[in-house]
Amino acid sequence: MNRTIAIVTLLAASAMASDLTGKWSGTFKVDGGDHTVPQLFILKQQGKTLSGSGGPNAGEQYPIENGRIDGDEARFELTAGEWKFAYDLKQTAPGALNGRLKLQSVNDSRTAKVSLASSKGD
Amino acid sequence: MIAGAFLVVLGITGGILAFEPELDRLLHPHLSRLKPGGRTLSLVDIGEAASKKYSGEPVVAYLPSSSPDVPTAVILSSGVVSVNQYTGEVLGLRTRGQTVLGFMRALHVRLATGDIGRNILHWSTILMLISLTSGLYLWWPRKRIQIRGPWWSRLFWSDQHNSFGIFSLVPWLLLTATGIVIGFEDEVSSLLDKMYDTKPVHSNQTLARSEPSQASTELTPDQAIAIASAQLPGALPYRLQMPRYGGLYVVSLTYSDNRIGAERNSISLDPRNGRIVAVNQSASLTPRERFMATNEAIHTGNILGMPTRIMAALASILLPLQVVSGLLIWVRRTNILRHG
Repeated sequence: MNRTIAIVTLLAASAMASDLTGKWSGTFKVDGGDHTVPQLFILKQQGKTLSGSGGPNAGEQYPIENGRIDGDEARFELTAGEWKFAYDLKQTAPGALNGRLKLQSVNDSRTAKVSLASSKGD
Repeated sequence: MIAGAFLVVLGITGGILAFEPELDRLLHPHLSRLKPGGRTLSLVDIGEAASKKYSGEPVVAYLPSSSPDVPTAVILSSGVVSVNQYTGEVLGLRTRGQTVLGFMRALHVRLATGDIGRNILHWSTILMLISLTSGLYLWWPRKRIQIRGPWWSRLFWSDQHNSFGIFSLVPWLLLTATGIVIGFEDEVSSLLDKMYDTKPVHSNQTLARSEPSQASTELTPDQAIAIASAQLPGALPYRLQMPRYGGLYVVSLTYSDNRIGAERNSISLDPRNGRIVAVNQSASLTPRERFMATNEAIHTGNILGMPTRIMAALASILLPLQVVSGLLIWVRRTNILRHG
């Protein structure tokens, strides 16, 4: 019985932590901000390393820096001019990445809620 | 009374933020000023000096010098580097993160908290508008414009409240009304879009861009700025985004004599051949964008330059005094009623 539970748990965990390679789209909303901001990521996972690009749309993409995967968690950064975006996401379901974002400029620091969905069919 | 506390926060922080750029330079003098002299280096040389100093990080963007005694800024992943454009000397790095001024802004916009703080401030501005209207109603019968009595007397504070209130009424009304518009931006934008039958997204912002490419960069940053500047004579380039960060060179330009959305000019260039891919001009803002830019210029005091910035700062700083005198009048009146 215990062995079955262990196998099922292992399978569920591996399904959750699936390869993040592909297109991910969604939004972020800054805490205390008015708008949701569109997001589009083109991710490439190689083992525990995450690379690719991200930005508000397909035409405006910034290279991913310091991307790494740890189980079902993904962390990476983007520098879009004066602002640096540090993402801390978790794969909450197959094809769904949710988590927090820290935005920092030379004077300001803000946090935001991020929600992304895989759009592999695109 | 509670709203008064929030208005004190808005007033103090607003007064400080009216001079945010100047205060920021004052807090970082070694990164903000230099002694001009000699030939100006190319942006490539300036970028290389900054990059070399910080582990070879690629340049994200340049902020060209706006005046001979202001250094050129180079944006890297680790922060913003100030470089002497005449010697190539790296003056220092400003890392990202909240500063005192950033905290003031956070307090002013959202009480340094999230959605709750933002909503409290939004409704405080509505209460401010009601207070200003009721204040005018109460002032009107007596029309007091002078201060009498010693400073500790009720008469002094009553006269101060009346006279400061009437002289500051117009700036306060402007700051409050524009603050309400900023606070309810989504609702106002939606209303304006319906009124003018415009699409919520500016059509020029969605033009096609080149694929990001590092290897094919042939145009130099200086050439990109020269091409963009030729397109908008009289405009000053204040920012250049490198193609690795977005696929294109994006040159942002501003007109020093126009204070309404003047910084919203940008020209996107193909880094391989210098072809202009997209042009956004402040002259072609939609009615909603123009309204919002004008509203912001009034709120910040930028609308007519330094005189209106000083006026906005003074009006903001006087607001806490008005709240305190209003409170003193209320407390004394309550005591008189209670004790006969």
